[in-house]
Amino acid sequence: MLKAENSLGIIFFPAYDWAISPTHPEREERLLYTQDQLREEGLFDIEGIREYKPEVAETEDIERVHFCFPEAEAIATRSHYISTGGAIKAAELVMQGERDRAFALVRPPGHHAMKTVLGSRGFCAVNVEAIMCEHIREKYGQKRIAIIDTDCHHGDGTQDVYWHDPDTLFISMHQDGRTIFPGTGFPKDAGGPKALGKNINIPLPPGTSDAGFMMVMERIVMPILEDFKPDLIINSAGQDNHFTDPITNMNFSAQGYAALTKMLKPHIAVLEGGYAIQGALPYVNLGISLALAGVDYSHVCEPGWNPETLKESDEIMSYIETLCGSIPDIYFNPPEKSNEGIINGDWSVRHRNIFYDTEGFTESQTESLLLCNDCRGLLKVQTQKENGPMGFGIEIPIGACDKCRNTGYSILEEAQVKSKFRYMQMINRREKEYMRYGF
Amino acid sequence: MLLLGIDVGGTHTDAVALGPKGIEAQVKVATNHEDLLSSIKSALSEIVKTADPSRIKQLNLSTTLSTNAIVEGRFEDVGVIVSAGPGLDPHSFMICKDFHVIPGSLDHRGSETKQLNNLSLEEAISSCRKSGVQVYAAITKFSPRNPAHEKEMELAIGDNADFITLGHQITGRLNFPRRIATAYYNCAVWRVFNKFADAISGTLEEMGLGHIKVNILKADGGTMPLPLSRRVPVQSIFSGPAASVMGIIALCKITHDSIIYDIGGTTTDIAIFVGGTPLIEQEGINIGSHPTLVRALKVHSIGVGGDSAISILEGTVRVGPARLGPSIAFGGEIPTLTDALIWKDSCDCGNIGKSKAGFAAFASKIDLNPDELADKAIENAIDKIHDSTRELVEEINQQPVYTIHELLENRRIVPRKIYIMGGPAKAIKMDIFRKFRLSTEVPENYDVANAIGAALTRTTTEIELFADTERGVMFIPSLGYRENVPRTYDLEAAEKDAMNHLLAHLGEMRVAADGDNALITASSSFNMVNGDTTVGRNIRVKCQIKPGVVRTYS
Repeated sequence: MLKAENSLGIIFFPAYDWAISPTHPEREERLLYTQDQLREEGLFDIEGIREYKPEVAETEDIERVHFCFPEAEAIATRSHYISTGGAIKAAELVMQGERDRAFALVRPPGHHAMKTVLGSRGFCAVNVEAIMCEHIREKYGQKRIAIIDTDCHHGDGTQDVYWHDPDTLFISMHQDGRTIFPGTGFPKDAGGPKALGKNINIPLPPGTSDAGFMMVMERIVMPILEDFKPDLIINSAGQDNHFTDPITNMNFSAQGYAALTKMLKPHIAVLEGGYAIQGALPYVNLGISLALAGVDYSHVCEPGWNPETLKESDEIMSYIETLCGSIPDIYFNPPEKSNEGIINGDWSVRHRNIFYDTEGFTESQTESLLLCNDCRGLLKVQTQKENGPMGFGIEIPIGACDKCRNTGYSILEEAQVKSKFRYMQMINRREKEYMRYGF
Repeated sequence: MLLLGIDVGGTHTDAVALGPKGIEAQVKVATNHEDLLSSIKSALSEIVKTADPSRIKQLNLSTTLSTNAIVEGRFEDVGVIVSAGPGLDPHSFMICKDFHVIPGSLDHRGSETKQLNNLSLEEAISSCRKSGVQVYAAITKFSPRNPAHEKEMELAIGDNADFITLGHQITGRLNFPRRIATAYYNCAVWRVFNKFADAISGTLEEMGLGHIKVNILKADGGTMPLPLSRRVPVQSIFSGPAASVMGIIALCKITHDSIIYDIGGTTTDIAIFVGGTPLIEQEGINIGSHPTLVRALKVHSIGVGGDSAISILEGTVRVGPARLGPSIAFGGEIPTLTDALIWKDSCDCGNIGKSKAGFAAFASKIDLNPDELADKAIENAIDKIHDSTRELVEEINQQPVYTIHELLENRRIVPRKIYIMGGPAKAIKMDIFRKFRLSTEVPENYDVANAIGAALTRTTTEIELFADTERGVMFIPSLGYRENVPRTYDLEAAEKDAMNHLLAHLGEMRVAADGDNALITASSSFNMVNGDTTVGRNIRVKCQIKPGVVRTYS
């Protein structure tokens, strides 16, 4: 009988009755063949590997992270509540010590959902990993968390959620934004003024294969992780770097994903994208599961896999080498100023227009961080969906100083009195108070 | 018209003859493990002394034959030939010495991704032949989606084998390692089971009972006709607990979520009912250290029974899990749960005087008041039963679900009633009630409930239908059935076909069509999309004859 080196919990929630639309890549069938493969392999009969049912997240779990306008229930479907609950279950298994590792094989995904959400972007409505991480911090105290996003698309949502958080290291490796949605994710985006160097973007050229990814892991990701010394490592395990994925242009393989997982040793992996539902997902998910459990994955390969033809060109390798030479510096010698926002009095302010591709509207947003010497700083957001009503959000961060905390409440009161806003939300992480106003 | 039920248990072989008005004959004989047939024979001859043989229509038999053969390793060598393709290393599932892995693979939709290597297959077969192997199991990964490679193997093995088991014939459910183990055991016990089946038929002829239909009990709480069981003897493993559970169904009208206890000498078996239906293991039962695909009722056994020894560990009174000989009441030396119950006057069996004296002596030796010792022992046993039950229910409630609907709408199991059977059932009833505060029932005839259950258990079967309309095929692996279907084939048509094939299959087994008990247990249809176009549907339907009894009896 096979035995896992690390005990592994798998939360499998394929949401077989939910899809954005029948032919949308993020659809019911997505995890069907994965389930067939895992069952046929007898994965859950391996000693130490067990399947668990997801929990259903609470609205408070979502509102602890996101400013949701008009409200969480209007943005997140029941599927999102369960997908998020699946990630929370994964976290609980690890935090309670029931399992060494956990893999939330859930859908829909979440890494394009930003701090403020007005709808769905890139198949994501709420940020599954961020909600999970903040659930952990709320329940188990402040933790240093590293989120490594291995989805082919830039994790712009997760980047945004943690832009101002120095205790969360976010590393996204992805296909170069000049060639793919969402068109972001460049090394210059090193984080907000209070978290410089904690946001690392690694844009990889189309055609990158196993050797390129492993070079990035060895020369960028692992040394930074070693220095950051996280309490928890989370993998946003997007699987669309696969050579058969229909909406991307990379050449990664199941063996590559498994090797990456083996090196990264994430405590929790959460499924993100991956749309080659027949040729890739069953094998990649199996490879990742086995690597997480510490079981031999050397026989996992997809039909038609030919490492020779998939191998990246010398140009690609030398380009990646250049990245490996420069990117670590962003973490080890962060820039003095954030590349986004201007300083206006005590506030660092950025104006943005955010396009919601799934729903086809644009949000205009002003986000301000109160620059404070005693804590991470108070965050406020004004937002408007095209010509719709205005929304206002204010967040008192974990470990906020008294001054920021009190300023937060007085700004909220002022906003209420002026009543320019239809919707208002207060996230107070210090006293765990979460409030919403509006109609 | 009479229905016979025989349950060959570890200690006793119980037999009953049930007529329209109830039990017409019942007998308990000691089981002779060296010669199970003789136990069955003597039980039968006792029965026919009172029951008119010409009125006997059917004999349902639950036997430990296959289980014991496997557990004790009394079976023949099997040639196991597998083909796996990508995934876990198939050598991890090497179950015996004549185990051969052949290159070749199918994917999850049943497409051939690599041809079977004929040369290597020939080599494997010739190696098995050299070792003198006469029975073969051929298993390929994803064979329920496409049995082609297994059939190629069957063809190649051909005359070398007295018997061949192909993986897809066992079940359409997926699980390659379990399919290997199940096919292996099926071959391993094939000869010993068939000899037994011959002997049963012969004995019945001799006794003038050649006209009766014989069914063998399965672990899932159903039966299979003897001729069918000859091909799938592995299905008869662990049918003992199923007989007891079916007995409870026959004796009690179960409608709520319920807990069933069968308290035996050494163990207590716990089963859970949801509404009126017993729960089935999701995957299959384990035998030895190998999980299989043999469908079974979910029965959890714990080491607490009437003969469980009472011990003191660090000042705590404990019962079980060891059995150190019989109760004092029955000539043993170390007090047991039964002796504790006797001390409390809950139980009237064996030599009461000797039991009480021995119990008191034991208590004084450890400086305890015998009343206190009995109370603590019973409390400990009840606590163990209670805790294990709670864990089991919690585990079942934690079982994975795959759709939003299931997760949000599926109710949790909340037991509302307890049914107890087995030797100490009556004696312990009130203690169980006080612990759980749930309505607790001990049926009449609880002592032969297993044989009654065997007698009344109906024939069950389960099939999986799989259709891929992009390819235009529908197939039912366990029946070896395959048919071309139009692109318009849909879930409704698939459900209808599945039910028709299920009932037709019963007909082939000479079982009256059992339409009322046939039900669809899972059914799904997925659009398969290529680019932006829907290219077909992937349809899966499971249906079964619900485990149950032909009629209830009280």
